[in-house]
Amino acid sequence: MNLQIPAQVQYFLVGLAAWEIAGDLDLVAGGALPSPREIVSQAWLDRADYGGHIAATLQAATIGFIIGNLVAIAAALCFVRWPITARLSQGINVALFALPPIAIVPIILIAFDGMTPRYILAAISVYFPTMTAMLVGLSQIDPRAADVVRAYGGGPFAILRLVRLRSSMPALLGGLRVAAPNAVLGAILAEFGGGARWGLGTYLLGSLGQANPARLWGIGLAATLIAGLAYFAFVLMARKMTGATRAVTIASGALPQTERGGWITLIVAILLPFIVWWLLLTLLGISPIVAKTPFGLVDYLFLATTAESAQTRLLEALLETLPLALLGMAAGLAIALGLAVLGEIKPAIARTLMPVALVTQTMPLVALTPLLVLLLGRGITVTIAITISVTFFPAFVTIAQGLQLVSRAAFDLCRAYGASPLRELWLVALPSALPYLFAAAKLAVPRALLGVMIAEWLATGRGLGNLMNQSRGFLDYGMIWTVAIVSVLISLAFYQAIVLIERWWQRHGQ
Amino acid sequence: MALSSRPSDLLFDNVEKSFDLRGAPLKVLEKIDLACPAGSFTAIIGPSGCGKSTLLRIATGLEHEDSGSVTIGGEPPTTLAHRGELGVAFQDPALLPWRSVTSNIALPLDVIGKRPRDVERRIDDLIELVGLKGFGDALPAELSGGMRQRVAIARALVTDPSVLLLDEPFGALDQILRRQMNQEMQRIWLESQATTLLVTHGIDEAIFLADQIAIMATSPGRVAAMIDVDFPRPRPPDLLRDPAFHAVCDQIAEVLAEQLDASKVA
Repeated sequence: MNLQIPAQVQYFLVGLAAWEIAGDLDLVAGGALPSPREIVSQAWLDRADYGGHIAATLQAATIGFIIGNLVAIAAALCFVRWPITARLSQGINVALFALPPIAIVPIILIAFDGMTPRYILAAISVYFPTMTAMLVGLSQIDPRAADVVRAYGGGPFAILRLVRLRSSMPALLGGLRVAAPNAVLGAILAEFGGGARWGLGTYLLGSLGQANPARLWGIGLAATLIAGLAYFAFVLMARKMTGATRAVTIASGALPQTERGGWITLIVAILLPFIVWWLLLTLLGISPIVAKTPFGLVDYLFLATTAESAQTRLLEALLETLPLALLGMAAGLAIALGLAVLGEIKPAIARTLMPVALVTQTMPLVALTPLLVLLLGRGITVTIAITISVTFFPAFVTIAQGLQLVSRAAFDLCRAYGASPLRELWLVALPSALPYLFAAAKLAVPRALLGVMIAEWLATGRGLGNLMNQSRGFLDYGMIWTVAIVSVLISLAFYQAIVLIERWWQRHGQ
Repeated sequence: MALSSRPSDLLFDNVEKSFDLRGAPLKVLEKIDLACPAGSFTAIIGPSGCGKSTLLRIATGLEHEDSGSVTIGGEPPTTLAHRGELGVAFQDPALLPWRSVTSNIALPLDVIGKRPRDVERRIDDLIELVGLKGFGDALPAELSGGMRQRVAIARALVTDPSVLLLDEPFGALDQILRRQMNQEMQRIWLESQATTLLVTHGIDEAIFLADQIAIMATSPGRVAAMIDVDFPRPRPPDLLRDPAFHAVCDQIAEVLAEQLDASKVA
C-alpha cells in the first residue's frame, strides 16, 4: 500500500463533505443516513454509556484474542514439528475454518454463562487466521539455511529454534492483523445473542428499535474504530520488524495443503472433530437435553417422532438461504475480479480502491448490519448487500495483490507487440488472476454464509439464520445444533466444490 | 580453540545413488571412487546434472548414499558434523537475514552447542581473514553479494573444521569478483590446512585452486577422469595467463568434449 497522504486526505475530506450534505438534507433513505455532525453530537450525548460498552467489548475481544492466538501458535508449532499431528487435526482445522461463527453462538450461550461465551467466540474467530499464517511462516523457510543447520548435525528442533521461529515472525504478524478485527467481531457476535448488560453489540441491538439512526451509526463506527486500531497496531509492528510492508494477506486464510497420510490417518482426522465434540460435552457435564451429541443429532433428525417436521423446517430454511448465499458470493467475487483486472489496465482504479478495501476489511461488517437495515430495509436486498460486502473486499484484496505478483514483463511483451488494452486484459491479466480468484472464493465461502445468516437473523427473519434464532426461543435444542452442524457441512461442500472446479480448470481450462 | 586440528582423508568408496523420477529410478551417481588426501584441495567439475552437487551433499550428510560409503578419517560424515569438524558453504550464502555478520558466522557454534571461550576474538579474526573488517554488526541485506559470500566462507571456518565442503560458493559472482575470491580462498585454505572439496563449473577456478581435479560425466554421474595439478603454491594471479595453465584448461576441455560426443552417440 502506497500511502500518499495528501491525496488520501483529500479523498477523505471530499467524502466527508458529501456525507455531511447528504445527511443534512436527508437525501438517503429518507433520513436513515445521518450526517457526521449528527453522529458526533449524538455520541457526545451518549458519552456516559460508551465507556462501559466499549470496555466490555474490548475486554472480551482482548482475552479471546490472547487465548485463541496462544492456542493457534502452539498448534502451528506442533503441526510443523510433528507433521502427523497436522494430518490428524485436519478435520478439526477444516471445521473451524468452515464454521460461520454466528452458527455456534446459541450453543456457546447454552453451555456457558457470563463473559465466557464472548471469550470463546473471539478465540475461535482468531484461531484460524493466526494458525495458518504461523504455519505458512514456519514452513516457508529458506531451505538452504535449513541445510546449513543440518550440515552441522542440527536436528528438527535446532532448525525450529534457529531458523523457523524467527522466519515466521512477519507471517505471524500478518495473521495477527487479520485476527485482531476478527476478535472484535467474535465478541460482538456473542453479545448479539447474549442479552448481557454491557458491550457494543448489546448497545447496538438495544438501540435498534429507538428510531435514532445517529446513535446506531455512532456505535457501529465505534466498533469499526476499535477493530481498525487493532489492525493498524499490527501493521505498524510488522513494519518495524520487516522494514517494509509485505502482502501477507494472500497467504493467511486459506486451508493449508497437507500431505495425504494413510487411510487410517484420514479416518481418524475425520472422526476427531466428532470425538472432541462428544468428549467436550461429556467432560463439561452438560445435560443431554440441552447438549446434543452426534448420536443425539442423528436421533433428532432421523429417528424421533418429530424428525419429519424438523427435516421439513430445515429444508425450507436451506432453500431460502443457499440461493442467497450463492448469489451474494458470486456477485461479490465477480465484482472483485472485474475491478481487480481492470485495475491492472487502469492502475488509477486499483490505487483508489485498494486503501478503501484494506480499511473496509478491518470493519466488523456484520456489526454494521443494523445500519444497512436502516438504509435498505428488511427485504432480500439487505441480505444480498451484506453478503456482497463481506465477500467483495477480501476477494478484491486477494486478487489485486496476487495480480501485482505477475511479471511486469508479461504486460510489456503484449504492449511491445501492439496489443490493445482489451487484448492485454484477455491474454495476461485475466488468466493470471484466476488462481487468485479461486483462492478468494475459498475464503469467501464461510464469510458469505455468515453474512446471509446474520442478515436473516437481525433483518429479514427468514432462512437458516432465523431458524436458529427461533429455535432458541422455542428451546428446540436439537434444531440449534442441527443448524450449526449443517452450516459447517454446507460451507465444506461449497469449499470442496470450488476445489474440484479449480482442479478441473487446471487440467482442462488452460 | 581448535575444536579439531586433525587433518582427515575424505574417501568415497563405490558410492551409488538413485533418485525417484515419476516412479522410475534415475541413477545420478554410479560407482564413485574418489580419494581426497588429508590437507589436499580437490575440485569436482562437470556438466550440470552430472551429480556433483549430490556427491557433495552426501559428503555433508545431507543426502545418503544408496550403497558404498563415504568416510572422513574412517568415520561417517554425520559423526564429524556433530563435533564441528565439517565446514560447509553453498552457492547461495544462506545467511539468516535477522542475524548480524558476527552472529551469522557463529551459527554453527549454536547448532553444535559449543561456545569456546575466545569465540569473539576468533570471529573477529575470521572477519578480518575474509576482508570484512568493520562489518561485524552489519545485517546481510546491507552487504553486497560478494561480501555475503565471504561471510558464508567465514561461517564455514568458524569451527576450525578439518574438512571443508564447498558447493560452487562463488558460482553466483561475476568473473572479476570471482577471481578475487579465488585468490582469497587459496590464502584461507593455506592457513587452515583443511581437506577441501570444491564443486564448481569454472574450469580456471578448479585449476587455480586444486591439487587434483575430478572430471565428472553425466547420465549416470560418474568420474570420467582425474587430473593432477601441481603448480607451486601460493599460486600468483598471473598463473591464469601462463601457457602451462592453458594446457591444463585444454586437457579438461578435451575430456568434457569427449564425454559430450559419447553421450550424443549413446
